[in-house]
Amino acid sequence: MGVRRVAIVGYAQTKHQWDMPKTREDMVFEVAKGAAEMAGVTREEIDTVINASSDYLDGRTISELFLTMPSGAYLKDYTKTEMDGAFAALYGVMKILAGTHDVALIVANTQGSTFNPHQVSYHMLDPTFDRQLKVLNDMAIAAIQARMYMDKYGVAEEEVAMVSVKNLWCAAKNPNAHRKMPGVTVEDVLGSKMLYEPIRELMMSPVSDGACAVVLASEEKARKLTDNPVWIEGVGSSQDFYVRDRNLQRLEALEKAARRAYRMAGIKDPFAEIDVAEVTERYAHEELMIYEALGFCEEGKARRLVDNYVTWLGGQMPVNPSGGALGADPITATGLIRIVEAAKQIRGEAGAYQVPEVRRALAHGQAGICAQSNIVFILGGEE
Amino acid sequence: MSKERKETLAVEDTWPIGAYMYKGPKLYNEIVEGFKRKKIIASLCTGCGRVFFPPRNICGRCWRKIDARREVSDVGTITSFTISPEIKRGQVKVLGLDPVEAGIVKDGERLIMVYVNFDGTDTNYATVLLNAKPEEVHVGMRVKAVWKEKPEGLLSDMEGVEPIRKESTQ
Amino acid sequence: MWRNVAVIGVGQTKHGRRRDVNTAEMISEAAWRAIEDAEIAPEDIDAIVIGNMQGFGGICQAELWAGDWIGAPGKSVLRVATGGTTGGSVAQAAMYSVISGLYDVVLAIGFEKHSDSKEPGATTGLAHVGLANLFYMFNYGAPMRALFALSGGVGAAAGVSSYQAMFYMHRSGCRIEHYDMVAAKSRRNAAKNEYAHLQWPNCTPDDIAKTPMVAYPLRFGHICPASDGASAIIVASEEIARRVDRPAWVKGLAACADEENQMGENAQGVGILDTSEQLQCRIAAMKAYEMAKIRNPREEIDVAEIYQPFPHQELMYAEKLMLFDDGKAWIALEEGETEIDGRIPIDPSGGVLSTNAIGSSAMQRVAECALQIMGKAGKHQVPKDVKNAVAHGWGGSTNFTVVTVLGDAPRR
Repeated sequence: MGVRRVAIVGYAQTKHQWDMPKTREDMVFEVAKGAAEMAGVTREEIDTVINASSDYLDGRTISELFLTMPSGAYLKDYTKTEMDGAFAALYGVMKILAGTHDVALIVANTQGSTFNPHQVSYHMLDPTFDRQLKVLNDMAIAAIQARMYMDKYGVAEEEVAMVSVKNLWCAAKNPNAHRKMPGVTVEDVLGSKMLYEPIRELMMSPVSDGACAVVLASEEKARKLTDNPVWIEGVGSSQDFYVRDRNLQRLEALEKAARRAYRMAGIKDPFAEIDVAEVTERYAHEELMIYEALGFCEEGKARRLVDNYVTWLGGQMPVNPSGGALGADPITATGLIRIVEAAKQIRGEAGAYQVPEVRRALAHGQAGICAQSNIVFILGGEE
Repeated sequence: MSKERKETLAVEDTWPIGAYMYKGPKLYNEIVEGFKRKKIIASLCTGCGRVFFPPRNICGRCWRKIDARREVSDVGTITSFTISPEIKRGQVKVLGLDPVEAGIVKDGERLIMVYVNFDGTDTNYATVLLNAKPEEVHVGMRVKAVWKEKPEGLLSDMEGVEPIRKESTQ
Repeated sequence: MWRNVAVIGVGQTKHGRRRDVNTAEMISEAAWRAIEDAEIAPEDIDAIVIGNMQGFGGICQAELWAGDWIGAPGKSVLRVATGGTTGGSVAQAAMYSVISGLYDVVLAIGFEKHSDSKEPGATTGLAHVGLANLFYMFNYGAPMRALFALSGGVGAAAGVSSYQAMFYMHRSGCRIEHYDMVAAKSRRNAAKNEYAHLQWPNCTPDDIAKTPMVAYPLRFGHICPASDGASAIIVASEEIARRVDRPAWVKGLAACADEENQMGENAQGVGILDTSEQLQCRIAAMKAYEMAKIRNPREEIDVAEIYQPFPHQELMYAEKLMLFDDGKAWIALEEGETEIDGRIPIDPSGGVLSTNAIGSSAMQRVAECALQIMGKAGKHQVPKDVKNAVAHGWGGSTNFTVVTVLGDAPRR
């Protein structure tokens, strides 16, 4: 991608949980310092800091205002993106590619326990019409999407529940995950509280408090800092039409984003060339649709990948070995966490949920209702 | 509930903000504990030596946690100020309240709001100037904290600051 | 590596109280004007960067809904927001997007729809900057009078700014009359700008001085309005920019963040004793000028668009941008140097003092500098050759600064 290359050289994340016993400031400080320490950079060596936080979720206008000092941004080039942290990582990549900065620190955070995010999603709707109905929010719309998808392809509840079981089983091996449910079964998932038919509680990501930070560096700098840089080989993003005007049966924007990322990374056969994928699945059925949009299988065939254990840890194409969003969803930080988890797989740091011999990984983040806006990163280890 | 207007249709909605649970540190526990004894407890960054009041728990300059404390004087200097016009009953609402009705100011009073740099600190503390006329306040004025007779361990124990008047020597 | 980029088109809506459009319609007005001005087709745009203060219009992530109105579907969309300087940060994000080589043509939009909120203008939304802090202080028995002191009796930006206006007066020796002069100049210039909000063709300092004092030393006439509006620019790579008559080249860009200036998270203290010092502005300016190879800003900058919702900020930031010595800007003001036809015109558009749709305001500073270089500023075009222009924005609690230097030729 261009003349300059960018690598991930350090990262940190919190132990995601409900109502973390830490203020936002302390939480951000912990991950920002942790990432810098892992990268082996001093505050002086950081050229730019980018925060990702959401005013609505934090209940504060200019939500990043009081997080700048804990993020290490004192007298530094600074900005904030207000969507999933993976987009902030994209901005960091652009600043380094521009040649104006060598080291970027990306910090994303949300304490979901501050305000019900599902209430916030209601405010994403068109204020002149959809909101007036007072019945829609992200869960309701996801339920409509799930019903459409399941009916069209004859997907059974049990198969959707299998996605939850897969991810929660992995999350139990992930020390940072929120949900710790080792031995959870399909029956447990189908017995969990019904939210919006057919979506049950364990088919939806939890509301988590958490933060994540990543240090990006230019090639020259990365080589000085580490023997094991994780290269950003491709990135692509795309936004879909507004929820009422788009085709909910497919994740078209994700398809476009993935295609762009694959093109940049020179990937022709994603299923064969990618070794592991960390995706943001806010709902279990969404993960099935994600497989199809990423080109891992034909439309409607995603359930086979789950039924046949292909996307399980130990399968041909593990998806979300960290547990994914179903394991922990500190919203604004979730996409950045996917990037970190993908990087960990490449560097061999994933412990109990390590996939063997990972050379290339995919990380996906989303924003908006039912993945309206998507971003895909292709990461690669040293040859 | 829409109203007909010439060019557009107006639709009302509310932005319910009552459901937020904000998180805070226990930092101010120390301030109010000090206030109960009519003392100001500031935090000191041992990295750069800066003293903060109100206290702070992370120093941005050093990028480290601040865990040292220092008791500082309750005498300081006004570094900046602003003065409200006369606040009359029924004239204005601030933060949803009528200041006169709520007993915050007297009818027609002008509130003198000041930044005070207490001696030994590197910060400004925003408070009100008491027992002074608006014409008297100036940058550089020396002031002292005005404590409640019987402090209760609340921020209101320091009611404000007042000018330090020199004794007449004649 | 760096590659040259330029602003090739500008679009703005009329700013003011816009009850004739909803947010999506308003954004599309600016976007389509910019696309037409740049003489490109919507399909030519690769990505969109957009920003506003979410809470003000009551819509969360408005670009998800309004994106359909500006050709967003299928494109990469990035949302950037940094308080007052949101527009400036959005513009810079668009610039970095193209400089990086990932995109060739990017649409950048900043907007705000204050009138959609019931409470007057920016008060509600801005109160939420520190609301959590106030609740925290209530929890510890803070007296209401003290909270008035924090908000300067008027709330949020005006609160921080009235103290800052006092700091600046004390440090520079200027008088309230100079603030009256700045405000009057702003209204007069705004009258020459068809998109501005508060237009007063023959406004004099006396007219401003007659307005009541709101929070000493700021008068009602010194305070910016809360406007509805959107502004947009199109940033393009060198290859595409060369097809345009007179693009406004991006020569330098920088941003910098200082400690919060008034209070930190949960009402914690801040180690800044003089909020008119603005160290981060000086740093951002130095970096931007260095990139632009401008060694003597006083001589080389032909026009400046400074983010000044309050009059002292025009003087204060002009000094931090090294256009005048510290504490001396008011003398230049007295001598007419900063008028539209002066030696160094400041805010010929009228600036933020007369037009403030927060998400749009800092974008307008960049857009106005581009217009001046392109020769398209109409009645408020400065009557001199514009080789270099500097656009400035502040955000947060006056502790974020964004500085962009545009010129009539690319970086050497």
